[in-house]
Amino acid sequence: MTAPAWATTPQQILDSLVEQARAVQPGFTASVARGEQFYRAKQTGGKEADSCASCHTDNPKAEGKHIKTHKAIEALAPSVNKQRFTDAAHVEKWFRRNCREVLGRVCTPQEKADFTIYVLSVK
Amino acid sequence: MNVKSLAVLVAAIVLAGAWVGQGQADNEVVFPMPPGPLYVKECGSCHTAYAPGLLPARSWQKMMNELDNHFGEDASLDEPERLAILRMLTDHAADNPNANMLMRRIAASIPRDAAPQRITETRLFAFQHDEVPAHIWKRAKIGSKANCGACHTRANEGRYPEREVRIPK
Repeated sequence: MTAPAWATTPQQILDSLVEQARAVQPGFTASVARGEQFYRAKQTGGKEADSCASCHTDNPKAEGKHIKTHKAIEALAPSVNKQRFTDAAHVEKWFRRNCREVLGRVCTPQEKADFTIYVLSVK
Repeated sequence: MNVKSLAVLVAAIVLAGAWVGQGQADNEVVFPMPPGPLYVKECGSCHTAYAPGLLPARSWQKMMNELDNHFGEDASLDEPERLAILRMLTDHAADNPNANMLMRRIAASIPRDAAPQRITETRLFAFQHDEVPAHIWKRAKIGSKANCGACHTRANEGRYPEREVRIPK
């Protein structure tokens, strides 16, 4: 039975990212610890924001702020924001944009899966 | 004066007041916004969903052709969304045929050979904000001239009337 498109859950999005990671790295399992490290790490090669935390803050449960426009960004963690990780296309779009901004490249499927399992784990 | 003619007089005054009130509303800084959730969803994530009527269509056309480098950031969209939003922008731009008086003033103030990309660089913006001192813009809850919604409480609805302005401390 297939869930309708509008009922995507964060777990389904995570499962799909893990599946994509396994396609390039057989046996891959997502790691909360690696995801947290990735979330906080200062990156080089990007533009103005040098980490996820630059805009989303060190705490995925907190409201963030766009570093240039100062517009408020709603919390990332589904534990406090039920809209997050419920639309796969939305998630992909923001990985594409923000990975280019922070790392100057697209993220690998492994990075996306680690990031997601971390953000979903924050209760 | 009997009761009936008094009632007529009162009704006339109320109606006249309503009409004058309506006249003032016409001069308020309010722009029509594109219908549906797409515009605010796609154009209001990183910044205020600016009213399309703040710039002419040629500005929006240029901007929507350069979304992969949108003021230095990647704001690229899938092609169906890009085209849908471009249409919304041009349909509600300052120089669209149904533009209100304010939008016509904005359109008329921009040289025909210019396609400004920053609303803050237009003459109307400078004129409307000339009484806001520099230290106010630097407040933590404002921080940027792009942050319309910090003070214009209903900016995402295209509403910028002065009486709805609340400047955060």
